[in-house]
Amino acid sequence: MKRALVIGGTGFVGLNLVDALLAQGVAVRCTRRKRSITVYLRRRAVELVEVALDDPEALKRAMLDCDAVFYTAAPYPRYSIDAAAEVEAADRAARAVVSAAADVGVPRLVFTSSTGLLDPAPAGRAADARDIPRQMPQDSVYRASKWATHRCFAQARREGLPVSGVLAGGCIGPWDVRAGTGGVLIGAVTGLMPWYTEGLVHLVDVRDVARAHVAAADPRLAPSDHCLPGHTVALGAVIRQCVARYGGRVPEQVLTVEQARTRADLDEQQAAAKRGRVPFPREMVDIVSAGQSIDGQSALGRLGMELTPLSSALDAAHGWFLRHGYLSAGAEKENERCLTMKHETNASLS
Amino acid sequence: MSNDEARNQRILELVREILEMDDDDVIELTHRMREDLGMDSLGSLELLSRLSEELRIDMEMEDAMAISTVADACAFVNRNYQEQHSAAATSS
Repeated sequence: MKRALVIGGTGFVGLNLVDALLAQGVAVRCTRRKRSITVYLRRRAVELVEVALDDPEALKRAMLDCDAVFYTAAPYPRYSIDAAAEVEAADRAARAVVSAAADVGVPRLVFTSSTGLLDPAPAGRAADARDIPRQMPQDSVYRASKWATHRCFAQARREGLPVSGVLAGGCIGPWDVRAGTGGVLIGAVTGLMPWYTEGLVHLVDVRDVARAHVAAADPRLAPSDHCLPGHTVALGAVIRQCVARYGGRVPEQVLTVEQARTRADLDEQQAAAKRGRVPFPREMVDIVSAGQSIDGQSALGRLGMELTPLSSALDAAHGWFLRHGYLSAGAEKENERCLTMKHETNASLS
Repeated sequence: MSNDEARNQRILELVREILEMDDDDVIELTHRMREDLGMDSLGSLELLSRLSEELRIDMEMEDAMAISTVADACAFVNRNYQEQHSAAATSS
């Protein structure tokens, strides 16, 4: 691969993917939107082009002369409130990318997806890409959004476009600007996570996910979906591991899934009015409640990879959050606002 | 208007845009970014990212974590601008 386009290079997976590509000597072009946080990307030796996904000609120009196009920019629902709007946004963005890639004749298109998308596997085997839902999930806005993205790329593959998907577990590691799954670590270490719900989660070093994207772009590999769940652990065990390694507090309240859904929904309703963050988002409840055994070995074998130990991923994430102020007094104030919201929610529930 | 004041004005414009504030909402230099204006860490990051791009300066985000008020943000940006642009002028 000589040149690649990364759509979403300013984000968490995107920044790590850019690093993985540069490490392999690939020339990297990245799209950005007007309001993208480019401060980290601009320190890397990349070509930055301003492209809105609703500008097909600009998108096609960005894809020209690229051996691979990576799409790490699928919309991530900020709140699990408006399923129709989230699905529509995911679908519109994916269609724009697929359409431009087809017009240009991109040799390989790789997109980021999530193991959280998978339906429960039949008894007797671990879940894998066969368990991607045929119908839109109705129980989770997050899963519905991921399904919409996946449906579009899968359809393009059926129509002959060389598309591969990387279904990743919850990504942990450096450059987690929006603190997605890493929010669990922050909540535990700051001691301000009010509650959690127990279940299996899949955590993977984001740098492994980045390398998987690069490997999936290898033209010798048939276009397909690769499940990269990473490490399967109980959420409570992860929280205790974080507290043991970095300090903090394990939440005393362990809610049932139903309680957690109710609480998270109320928190998000309140937070959305102020565009604030919640201490434990609804999509995390959905992911934990859908926790199951997922086959990651097949993809590791196909992609010629080994997993980075979870402790290394957590250390890298913790170090990055620490250096960038996510664990500082200021950040705690932001989290305290979440806690205040939690108390308000408690009051409204009682 | 001095260059510093012009940059401060631009900072206020961007804060207003990022927070989607109305034109008649008042922003004071003494306002605290988080507590008074409700700007979260992502908003602050967007603010500094856009300023660093517009002003062609490289700001260490790690150092920016000490910013509390709008005045702190203005001082941080102006200090970086003066240091980097005076260094560029000296070396050219």
